[in-house]
Amino acid sequence: MSEHPTGPTARSDEGSHAIRSPQNFAAGLSLVALMVFALWAGRDLDQGTLRAMGAGMLPRAIAVLIGLCGAALVAVSFVKDGDPLERWHLRGPFFVCLGILAFAFTIRSVGLAVAGPLVAIVSGVASPETRLRELLAFALVVTAFCIGLFRYVLNLPLPVLIIPPGVLPGLPAGLYL
Amino acid sequence: MDIFSNLALGFSTALTLQNLGLAFVGCLIGTLIGVLPGVGPIATITMLLPITFGLDPVGALILLAGIYYGAQYGGSTTAILVNIPGEATAVVTTLDGHQMAKQGRAGIALGIAAIGSFFAGCVATLIIAALAKPLTGLALLFGPAEYFSLMVMGLVFAVVLARGSILKAVAMILVGLLLSMVGTDLETGAERMTFGYAPLADGIDFAVLAMGIFGFAEVLRNLEHPEARDVVKQRIGRLLPSWEDLKQSAAPVLRGTLLGGALGILPGNGAVLGPFASYTLEKKFAKDPSRFGRGAIEGVAGPESANNAGAQTSFIPLLTLGIPPNAVMALMVGAMTIHGIVPGPQVMTKNPTLFWGMIASMWIGNLMLLVINLPLVGMWVRLLKVPYRLMFPAILVFSCIGIYSVNNSPADVIFTAAFAIVGYAFIKFGFEPAPLLLGYVLGKLMEENLRRALIISRGDIMTFAERPVSAGLLLVALALLVVAVLPAVRKSRNEAFAE
Repeated sequence: MSEHPTGPTARSDEGSHAIRSPQNFAAGLSLVALMVFALWAGRDLDQGTLRAMGAGMLPRAIAVLIGLCGAALVAVSFVKDGDPLERWHLRGPFFVCLGILAFAFTIRSVGLAVAGPLVAIVSGVASPETRLRELLAFALVVTAFCIGLFRYVLNLPLPVLIIPPGVLPGLPAGLYL
Repeated sequence: MDIFSNLALGFSTALTLQNLGLAFVGCLIGTLIGVLPGVGPIATITMLLPITFGLDPVGALILLAGIYYGAQYGGSTTAILVNIPGEATAVVTTLDGHQMAKQGRAGIALGIAAIGSFFAGCVATLIIAALAKPLTGLALLFGPAEYFSLMVMGLVFAVVLARGSILKAVAMILVGLLLSMVGTDLETGAERMTFGYAPLADGIDFAVLAMGIFGFAEVLRNLEHPEARDVVKQRIGRLLPSWEDLKQSAAPVLRGTLLGGALGILPGNGAVLGPFASYTLEKKFAKDPSRFGRGAIEGVAGPESANNAGAQTSFIPLLTLGIPPNAVMALMVGAMTIHGIVPGPQVMTKNPTLFWGMIASMWIGNLMLLVINLPLVGMWVRLLKVPYRLMFPAILVFSCIGIYSVNNSPADVIFTAAFAIVGYAFIKFGFEPAPLLLGYVLGKLMEENLRRALIISRGDIMTFAERPVSAGLLLVALALLVVAVLPAVRKSRNEAFAE
C-alpha cells in the first residue's frame, strides 16, 4: 500500500530488517490502539439490534473496522518496502501548543490585550529564525489590529483588558474593557 | 423560463449594497490569505469563520463563498509566481505557469488564469442554476436507504481520490466517522465516549477539529520545512494576453470548463481531478506536446478553467443533496449550521433568496476576482515576501481568536491545541487529513439514515441491495474501489498525484 515501493525515501538498509515499512507499521499500531481505546470508552453503551440500533452498535463496528485497517497496515509493513519513520521535532509543536494554551488561560482572565501578544511571542520561539525585537513589535501590531477588527468592527464579545479590583493601586475598582 | 426568474431573484438579493460589499470583501481577504504560501483555502475559511457571525445567513454565505474563490485564485497566483501550489488543485498550474513567469510572461499567465477562471465561473453558475431544480427533485425521492448508499459512494470517491495509500484513506474516513459519534446520541440520548465531561456532550465542534487538524498542523509542518521561496525575479510584464494568446487559449478554456464542471459535480471531491484531466487532455490535443512543461499557455488556461469550474460545481451536491463533496464544502456545512441552516434539498424551497442569492453571488464573485486581482498583482507579489517567521504568529493569533469566538469557550482553544498534535502525528504517519473531515461531517447524517432505513426494513440489512437506486449507488462504489485497487490504475493514479 506504500506510495513509494522503490522510492528514494526508502532507506536501502531497511531491507535487512523484518519491518520493511516503519511508517506504516507505526501508523497501523496507532490505529489498533485507537480501536482499543474506542472500545474501552464505549464499553457501557447499549448494543441494540439491527432493527433498533443501540447507541453502541455503530461506534463499536467502526472501531473494529479501524482496528482491521490498522492490522492490515501492520501486515503490509512486513511485506512491502515503504517510508521510514520521520523524525518528530519537539520544538515546533511544544512552543506552538504552549502559546495556544497561554491564550486559552488568559483570554477570560486578563483579556485579548495580553493573550494576543502572549500567543504570538511564545509560539514565535518555535521558529529558529525568529528575531525577538521584530516579533515583539509585530505581536503588538497584530493584537492591536485584531482588537480593532474583532471587538469594535465585528462587535464580538471578546474581553480586551481585565484588571481585577485592587490589583493596581490607581484603579481600586478594577477595569473591564 | 424558470431559471431566469430564479436567477433574477438571486441577483436582486446579491446586488444589494451590503451583499455586494461582502462579496468584494470576501474575494479580497480570500485572495490576500490564499496568496500567503502554506495557507490553503481550508485554513483560510476556518480562520475567517468568526467574522461571519454577526451577519445574516445570506450575507455570511456570500462572504464565505467569496473567501473560497479568493483563496482558490490566490493559490493559483502563488503557483505561478512562487512555484508553490496553494492547494492540491493548483499543482498543475505550477508546471507551465511558473515556467511562463520565468520567461517574463508572469503577467500573461496570471491574466489568462483570471480570464479562463471567469469564463469557467460564468458557465458553472449557469450549470448550477439549471441543475439545481431537477437534482433537488431527485433528492426528494430519495429515502433513507438511498441517502445512506449515496454517502457511501461519496466516501468511496473521496478514498479513491485521496493522495497516497488507499488503506490509510479508508482508515481516516473511519476515524472521522468515529469522531462524529462522540457526544449525545440523538436517538437514545445516551452519552457516547464523553467520559462524563460535560462540554463533550454536544460532540466535538467542527471548527475545533478542522482548525486543529488542518490549520495548526499545517503551521507545525511548515515550521519544520524551511521553505525555499522561489519568487520570480523577472518583471511581471503586461497582464492582458495578446490576441494570439487568446486564440491559443480559447479551446483549452472551453474544454477545461466542461471537464472541470462535470467532474466537480461528483460526490467525493471530483473537483480535484479537473485540472489533472484537463492538462492531460490539452497535452494530447496539442500539435507539439513537448512545449508542455516549458511555459505553454494552454497548460495554464485549461487547468485553471477546470479548477474554477469544479470549485463551483462542487456546490451542487451540497446545495441540492445536502452532502458536502470535499473538505471545503464540509466547512460550508459547518458555517451553515452555525447560522441555523440545515443544508439539503429543502434549502431551495424554504429559503429561495438564500439559495439563488448565493448562486448569483458566485458569478459576481468571479467578476470581482477578475476586476480586483489583476490591478492588485503588484501588492500580492509584495505580500509574498513576508517571511514565515512573522506569518505564523499572526496566523495563530487570528486562529485562536477565531476558535474562542465560536462558542466563547477557552476549552475549545485547548482542544484545538490537542488536535494540532493529532494532526501533526497524522502527517508523520503519512495520513491525509482531508478524508477524516469528510467522514466527520457525513457521520451523523449517515448514522441517522442507516438507522431509519433499518427501522423501515425491520432490521433487514438487505434493504440496501433490494432497492434499485440504492443498489446501483453501492455497485458504483464497489466498482470504483475495485478499479482503484487494480495495479495498473494505481500506478497511473500515483503518477497523477506525484508532485
